[in-house]
Amino acid sequence: MVDVGNFLAGPYAASILGEFGAEVIKVEHPIAGDPMRHFGTKSPREDASLSWLSEARNRKSVTIDLRQAEGVMLFKRLLQKSDVLVENFRPGTMEEWGLGWAEVHAANPRIVMLRVSGYGQTGPYRRRSGFAHIAQAFGGLNYLSGFPGESPVLPGTVPLGDYISSLFGAIGVLIALRHQEATGRGQMIDVGIYEAVFRVLEEIAPAYGTTGKIREREGSGSFVAVPHGHFRTGDGKWIAIACTTDKMFERLSVAMGQPHLSSSEVWGDQRKRLADRDKVNKIVIEWVASLTREEVLDKCLREEVPVGKVNSIADIFEDEQFAARENLVRMSDGPIEDLAIPGVVPRLSKTPGRVTSLGPTLGDSTEQVMRELLGLAASEIAKYREQRVI
Amino acid sequence: MSTLLHPDVPIVPPPLPLEGIRVVDIATIIAAPFCATVLGEFGADVLKIEHPLGGDGLRRFGTPSQRGDTLTWVSEARNKRSVTLDLRHPEGQELFLELIKQTDVLCENFRTGTMEKWGLGWDRLKEVNPKLVMLRVTGYGQTGPYKNRPGFARVAHAVGGIAYLAGMPKGTPVTPGSTTLGDYMTGLYGAIGVLLALRHRDRTGEGQYVDAALYESVFRCTDELAPAYSMYGTVRERMGSSHNDYACPHGHFATKDGKWVAISCATDHLFERLANAMGRPELASSSTYGEQLTRLENAGQVNEIVRDWCGSLTREEVLERCYSTHTPAGPLNNIADIFSDRQFHARRNLVAIDDHRTGESMILPSVVPRLSETPGSIRQLGPTLGEHTDEVLRDLLGLDDERIADLRKREVI
Repeated sequence: MVDVGNFLAGPYAASILGEFGAEVIKVEHPIAGDPMRHFGTKSPREDASLSWLSEARNRKSVTIDLRQAEGVMLFKRLLQKSDVLVENFRPGTMEEWGLGWAEVHAANPRIVMLRVSGYGQTGPYRRRSGFAHIAQAFGGLNYLSGFPGESPVLPGTVPLGDYISSLFGAIGVLIALRHQEATGRGQMIDVGIYEAVFRVLEEIAPAYGTTGKIREREGSGSFVAVPHGHFRTGDGKWIAIACTTDKMFERLSVAMGQPHLSSSEVWGDQRKRLADRDKVNKIVIEWVASLTREEVLDKCLREEVPVGKVNSIADIFEDEQFAARENLVRMSDGPIEDLAIPGVVPRLSKTPGRVTSLGPTLGDSTEQVMRELLGLAASEIAKYREQRVI
Repeated sequence: MSTLLHPDVPIVPPPLPLEGIRVVDIATIIAAPFCATVLGEFGADVLKIEHPLGGDGLRRFGTPSQRGDTLTWVSEARNKRSVTLDLRHPEGQELFLELIKQTDVLCENFRTGTMEKWGLGWDRLKEVNPKLVMLRVTGYGQTGPYKNRPGFARVAHAVGGIAYLAGMPKGTPVTPGSTTLGDYMTGLYGAIGVLLALRHRDRTGEGQYVDAALYESVFRCTDELAPAYSMYGTVRERMGSSHNDYACPHGHFATKDGKWVAISCATDHLFERLANAMGRPELASSSTYGEQLTRLENAGQVNEIVRDWCGSLTREEVLERCYSTHTPAGPLNNIADIFSDRQFHARRNLVAIDDHRTGESMILPSVVPRLSETPGSIRQLGPTLGEHTDEVLRDLLGLDDERIADLRKREVI
């Protein structure tokens, strides 16, 4: 697999396949490298931010300058030895370098090419720069985050759209590889970050199409169920309670020591609770505020109410479920000691994935790949290096 | 010929790459079923097994459709065939095992131990069909101390760490956009797991199960949150509408007409473009705010300048000026904006599908991702309960009409 993308949208698809054993070759500019190396919090390794160390896992770094003709030639030779190419340049960029789908396909008719961009490869906005933040807003997710009538907030993490588009990308690659193995034919997969985000907004499109209803921000609640949101505990922490069904509310009312609340004359019925949303929430708010987070959790869990801590990262590091499932993998590499990064998702019973290395240093495998995979002589490698092609 | 009129529509539809794969979906609501939905779009035959009375809870979750089920059902149960079967009934279990013999992929999301209680745990299913790939989705996974706790996406967002990050600093944590986000993300991870497992099966003949937890899918997508805490003890807090830890300006800004735009200047170069768009190139000089570090130190002032500028113009005006200098900017679209947007139209992200029963059409989000050679498709809307029970029991399990009628009378199907 060749990953020539920057940051996360697309490259994360390569990370997933890499976790499950694909050989991922990260092709980077000989001088600049992937800008994710310098994005966010720095690490003790000068060439690597924390995001790079974690998300460029399981990769070999090879430097090739695609702006030079000889770089393009070497890159095409690499494609001839590869099954999958991942890229996320602004649409048109690869074409300018003579590496559009037509040329890539000509170089290797079996290759599967994943192209991720803010707005996709087609349509009037295709050339616009589309960072996750912008594309997520465009796809309709950011409009929905926050309190009604107030400023929309970021939906949790900034690159959520990068991850979601990569998940769709990985699915596309795996499907295309099936087709490739059956027919010998490659193909191109085109994912817009905005459409990946838009695809996961459940009934928002059919609801507008049918009833004209525009979904607005819902704060910490939900329009389909009450109580369903985040509540502050007596010790100033937060918990989430989700009574999606009447049965769940019945359990909550028992946990609260007020079982009469779920009788049919009171709020046993979701429609009644929705109609009296503020009153129902007020009772839950007061009950939760009268107890510590641990107390609320204990009482809710005893009745099997869907409940959970609103975990900070500090909470997560102490959590016994995260520990039991090994969701944090600890890795060391040179000056990096015992760095915890998120483990592999999904979990397969027979052929589990694994993290074998942190993000590589720039060009750590250039020599090896040029020699072993492309069959270049030492003199050629030296020449290309001198010309800064690699 | 139609090809001359519509050169982009081939006469023979392209092949669907998952044709010949049978998926049995006994799951409910969105998480595991969405995996089956994605596989179905690419040609897998998806059999939705539902309880004879009521069926999947998704039929009652959210805004009602004209058919009496719900819009999410009609949209997300696309391409599936509905078969009723009571898995609590011994005869239902027997028929289910017969079906599993002819199945490639099974998707389930019952509480841990439920399938085992019915005699349909992994060990039994593997015995019946060693090549089976099984997706198991729960709130917390099949293992660990919380494995028996009930878990919905709302709880998964909280446990997985993204709810804590959404909202105004020190304010109430809010829903990260959509209450079912974690369900969808888990469906996507599930589909990846299933496709990887099918690859392994095709090579070795060996099946396996995929153990997916809602909270893990969410947690996996938190960039440097874990390594930053691990290395420096940094506890990230809620970011509000601007995220100014690494870049400024980077957030949401209100426009004169009461709408919102997102602007994101991750590098100095992009801030220079914004300064030009604002007609104030001097802001990007090295003595003012040309450097990210200076902007981050003075985030309040920089954000105020951008806020004032956005507030003095309509959304269209702000965006036009940003686009003219290639500043990364975009509208915070609501669904009405989306329906009228040229890019959504050009990419056909919304498709109208006719309901073959009512004749009414409904607008749905179309298939993602887009494959050039073997694109996915929406061939029908979500089925009515038990719409395909007879044909499946007859064609796949070889039951005759008499037996089917008897099973129906006893509510096994």
